[in-house]
Amino acid sequence: MDYYNLLTTCAFIHLLVSIPYAYSNYVENKAGQFFSSGHTNNWAVLVCTSRFWFNYRHVANTLSVYRSVKRLGIPDSHIVLMLADDMACNYRNPKPATVFSHKNMELNVYGDDVEVDYRGYEVTVENFLRVLTGRLPPSTPRSKRLLSDDRSNILIYLTGHGGNGFLKFQDSEEISNMELADAFEQMWQKRRYNELLFIIDTCQGASMYERFYSPNLMALASSQVGEDSLSHQPDLAIGVHLMDKYTFYLLEFLEEVHPASQANMNDLFKVCPQSQCVSTPGHRTDLFQRNPGSVLITDFFGSVLLHDMKQLVADVSSQKPKQKDWHPPDGFILGLWTLILLVFFQTYGIKHLKHIF
Amino acid sequence: MAAPLTLLLIVAVTIRAVLFRSSLAELISARVEVVSPLNAWKRVVEGLALLDLGVSPYSGDVFHETPLMIYLFHFTVDYAEIVFIVSAYFVDCLSCFLKPLDRAKMAINSNYLKSDLLFNFPGCCELISWFITIIVCLCFCKFHFLCTCKYTDVRLCHQIADGITALALYLSIQTYNKDVFRKQKYALESDRYSADCLELLRSPKEMFYIPLKVAMFYLLNPFTILSCVAKSTCGLNNAIIALFIFCTLKGSALLSGILLALATYQSIYPLTLFAPALLFFLQRLYIPVNLRRSSFWFFTLQYAFMYVGSLVVITGLSFFLLGSWDFIPSVYGFIFSVPDLTPNIGLFWYFFAEMFEHFRLFFSCVFQINVFFYTIPLSIKLKEHPVFLIFMQIAIISIFKSYPTVGDVALYMAFLPAWSHLYRFLRNIFLVSCVLLACSALFPVLWHLWIYAGSANSNFYYAITLLFNFGQILLVADYFYAYLRREHHLTHGLYLKKKDGTEATLVLK
Repeated sequence: MDYYNLLTTCAFIHLLVSIPYAYSNYVENKAGQFFSSGHTNNWAVLVCTSRFWFNYRHVANTLSVYRSVKRLGIPDSHIVLMLADDMACNYRNPKPATVFSHKNMELNVYGDDVEVDYRGYEVTVENFLRVLTGRLPPSTPRSKRLLSDDRSNILIYLTGHGGNGFLKFQDSEEISNMELADAFEQMWQKRRYNELLFIIDTCQGASMYERFYSPNLMALASSQVGEDSLSHQPDLAIGVHLMDKYTFYLLEFLEEVHPASQANMNDLFKVCPQSQCVSTPGHRTDLFQRNPGSVLITDFFGSVLLHDMKQLVADVSSQKPKQKDWHPPDGFILGLWTLILLVFFQTYGIKHLKHIF
Repeated sequence: MAAPLTLLLIVAVTIRAVLFRSSLAELISARVEVVSPLNAWKRVVEGLALLDLGVSPYSGDVFHETPLMIYLFHFTVDYAEIVFIVSAYFVDCLSCFLKPLDRAKMAINSNYLKSDLLFNFPGCCELISWFITIIVCLCFCKFHFLCTCKYTDVRLCHQIADGITALALYLSIQTYNKDVFRKQKYALESDRYSADCLELLRSPKEMFYIPLKVAMFYLLNPFTILSCVAKSTCGLNNAIIALFIFCTLKGSALLSGILLALATYQSIYPLTLFAPALLFFLQRLYIPVNLRRSSFWFFTLQYAFMYVGSLVVITGLSFFLLGSWDFIPSVYGFIFSVPDLTPNIGLFWYFFAEMFEHFRLFFSCVFQINVFFYTIPLSIKLKEHPVFLIFMQIAIISIFKSYPTVGDVALYMAFLPAWSHLYRFLRNIFLVSCVLLACSALFPVLWHLWIYAGSANSNFYYAITLLFNFGQILLVADYFYAYLRREHHLTHGLYLKKKDGTEATLVLK
């Protein structure tokens, strides 16, 4: 008995002592993994290249990704959001100051804390390329610049109308895949990114990443060359399609991701297979140096800093604010109708009623 | 008279419905002469949207309606179908059951046998007609809502408001005419009229069509139609004032006090209608208007208590609706301090646009006092003619208020057929009608020249505004002169002679 007790006590003490070591090992592993990815800050450039009411879904796409990215930790100062921003206050919008991404108006992605950096007619090819390459006039404010360095992981998300090798900007100009590839090469030469994730949700989106030639680029597209990206669901009250299929399922996937999540890029490649999306999503990883299976989603979509690791944040508060209609207080309704009834009976006299009935 | 009135209502509703469906509706809703910051429908929608997002609708200088209006429109817009069907049901029930109630009241007052009262229960025919009307209303409402989408449903609400105004005016003028004829009979019997004024006396034959004409003048007035198509809440304000006049003329002091409080709560200016209503009740109850008599003060205090009491209750209710006193600076502060200087057909915007800040308070006080200033002198002069005083007060309010629109002008213009017997004494008919017509036509022209073509400036538009108001003032003054002149002739004879026998002329001093 005594020997058995001694053994268990020793084992217990050993366990007690080794737990901090295990923990610190775990932290070191995590830290090692963190530093192995090579980035220290995260940026996001989210562009919606369409305007006009019937392109509601492109704005909703971009705003959904914006929300996810903000929720996972990238602050507004590190997000460059380019939208035509003519949806929320459009006179055709039956619910002004809102942009919905789910039908039945479950999720208002516009909210009251959205910061659009380039709006209206400022969303042009020239501005987009200048943001990427950093060649902006000195008077440009910081919120409109992509101030990334060689340790930045950048997420670039484009949505709109596209074709084989080009993307249409605001119904008046185009950017070609070669221009985009050259812009990324400029960024590489100027050491403006560490790793770059490029997501595009347009028709024939895969054509846009065909020409990339710079290192450390990973690209995803919603459809192959020759295929169209389809929109998801129309909302009968608003009258337009709310989201595109690929971004809808991407958003659903991202809603499961929280800052401590271990989901990696392989899971992202599986988002929206052909059975759901009708188009075939494509991806390109040959320019990327690391194995996609070891790249965390939060490397690009979140802004996970070293000190957060120690806390191992696990609480998720994915809010889906329900659009609540205002109702007058019950006491008011009661009081008002009581008064009306009182006046009615005062005028017509309740004693007269007794004589009739 | 029900049939012509119904026909008139149908024609009016048709005109409005046709205009609603055309492309003009959008154009008219944006005209500054028809909508003002106080009663534009666009702003109501903004306010309701802000409310749905959880923000106070009075934040930002957008929404200037009272909370009860918020409640009404929120209720209407959300539950439009049910509201209209249920209200049609209630109106039907009321019209079916109230007649027996009225009869019962009269019967009780005149001590009929109780058994006679059994016959006052709604009879077979009445029940059948009630049933048929219900079915018709239900079908109409359902059809209406099938063809429209959500936010435009309240078009029906504005048309109903116009209908209520017309009906209330019709019934009140009917009552007034009976009253006038009765008084004339008494005056003739007591020899108060001179011998040669037979042509000035009014007969039931000429007075028969006046209520219908009044309703027609209101419903088919282009100003009213424009105001209704623009969905401005001026139509609802007019409805409340018309109901107030109706209740006053029917003699119900409580209802009149409550409706006047509601009208004052909407925009403060109907406060001046307190004096003519008071005078009317005093006249009706045979209380002499003498400041030294206690009976005068007794009734005045009663009426004032009912009025102020309902005003307090309504304001308290509004506080409970939104839980804050936000609406007081937004509605009443806005009316008094006139911060929004968008051009309209009133007199305030030009002055205040070019005024130095230092003098702003002084001039806003002066301009606002101008509205209330004419009440006391006119009440003293028109002591025995409170209904004419109501007409004059409404006219003065719609000329001198801070944000007038053509809807306000339409309300007092509806009364003009009631004074058609004054035709022979009116001196400026041609001038006034020409000025008013020309100005109404020139408003959009000069606006276009100023804002779009750029070849005119604000002075042009303001000149037309001034001329329009001048025309209105001339109209009101003319009717005032004609009324007083007729009263003078009634008591002193039609053919006036000076002391030496030559013909005299009458001058308004």
